Amino acid sequence: MNKVISINLNGNAYQLEEGGFEALRAYLDTAGRRLESNPDKAEIIADIEEAIAAKFRSLLGANKTVIVEKEVAGIIADMGPVEDASGAAEAPPPGPGAQPAGAGKDAQGAAPVPPARRLFKIHEGAKIGGVCTGLAAYFNIDVTLVRIAFAFLIFAWGSGLLLYVLMWLILPSASTPAEMAAAHGMASATAQEFIRRAREGYYEGMKTFGDRRAYREWKRKFKSEMRGWKREMKWGLHPLSGQPPPAGAWIALPVLNTLISAVSIVGFIALISLVATGDVFGLGFFVWWPFWARLLTLIGIICLVRCPLKAIRRSYYGYPWGYYWGPAGSLWCILKWVFVVYLVIWIFGIHAGFHDALYHLPPKLHHAADSVQDWWNRQ
Amino acid sequence: MSVNEKFTSIRKGLLEFLVLKVIAADKVYAADILEQLSRTEFATQEGTLYPLLSKMRREELVDYEWKESDAGPPRKYYQLTAKGREQLKETSEYWQKINATLRNLGQP
Repeated sequence: MNKVISINLNGNAYQLEEGGFEALRAYLDTAGRRLESNPDKAEIIADIEEAIAAKFRSLLGANKTVIVEKEVAGIIADMGPVEDASGAAEAPPPGPGAQPAGAGKDAQGAAPVPPARRLFKIHEGAKIGGVCTGLAAYFNIDVTLVRIAFAFLIFAWGSGLLLYVLMWLILPSASTPAEMAAAHGMASATAQEFIRRAREGYYEGMKTFGDRRAYREWKRKFKSEMRGWKREMKWGLHPLSGQPPPAGAWIALPVLNTLISAVSIVGFIALISLVATGDVFGLGFFVWWPFWARLLTLIGIICLVRCPLKAIRRSYYGYPWGYYWGPAGSLWCILKWVFVVYLVIWIFGIHAGFHDALYHLPPKLHHAADSVQDWWNRQ
Repeated sequence: MSVNEKFTSIRKGLLEFLVLKVIAADKVYAADILEQLSRTEFATQEGTLYPLLSKMRREELVDYEWKESDAGPPRKYYQLTAKGREQLKETSEYWQKINATLRNLGQP
């Protein structure tokens, strides 16, 4: 007498002897691993499951409802080992300890990437500058909630707008797969491992198909296991485990971040100062030029200082040498700052509350705020 | 490496060509292809054919459509795309050339 397990293949139930089930699961698991880097993996697996199901159907009849272990072995031999047609040559032979291929591969460029969770701008699915999508990924919450929060903050004397613009200027963009993974707080290889384990757990669950109590028991166990893995993976994401960061990153990154933020803030104040007084901190900044030329020059200088710093910072995030946008990037940078200037003028001009709030800040800003309003009133 | 093993790699390389030929003749589903190949020295198993078909589809050589079948769920019926026919033609010509070379080379 043998135990029988019900399984679900492409939506149809079949009954297998336990040994047959184990063999089939091992076969499908191996197939899944071999196809790891294949973009059509899910489809091929579904095709293979369907082919197996068809063979089961041909064996079953009115007087035969269970597939015995020997028949499963015969069918597996008949199917033959699954070979990845596209990547057979370049993919290393799969085996224990084989690295999950795919997105993780991209992350292993010349410089390893610290897999910690980081705040990025994410342009995928972004409405404006990718700040909200980045925040949503960082805190793992719905992006709509972040957008609503920002919308509310805008009504609070425009502070949401200012916050948004500042973050837009300061945050780096996530553009490589590794950076995307870091933005979501997951090293991509780790994410794949997570999915692999979840799938294995799912196959385990197929055993309980048809037995409600066993199913409930499995579900409880599976959930608690998933929670355990999550914890484990969070630890795996700790920057000190996993790959070592490039030498000196732990000193360089905070210093660079502080420097870039400082340049941004000083630049921002300098812009306010220029708009307000027609001069930068009373230094006599090209006063003989027309206003627009001075404005563009200042923006250009800010970008010139920021760009190399940003390039160096980028080099620590997985690129062997910095990241260069080319002339289009510089133009974009300048356009961003022009927009900032426009916003500053606009906020000062129409939001009296914002003006009042700045009154309680350091005298320099206080003075600047006053003059912008004067300037606005003169227009 | 025995002669037989050498044949294996030749067969492997030619399989795609053979599958193109089978699909070119008529709309077929995977089991049809296996059945037709099983009578030749190119007998193949599902484990090899499905990944190959998916690769060929990705390369836009073949395309499939779902069709109801009398027995069981709908099946994927494969057919050649224009690109697939082009490749079949090129490979056939190349094969003729290889045949001619084999015949003529070394002849006085």
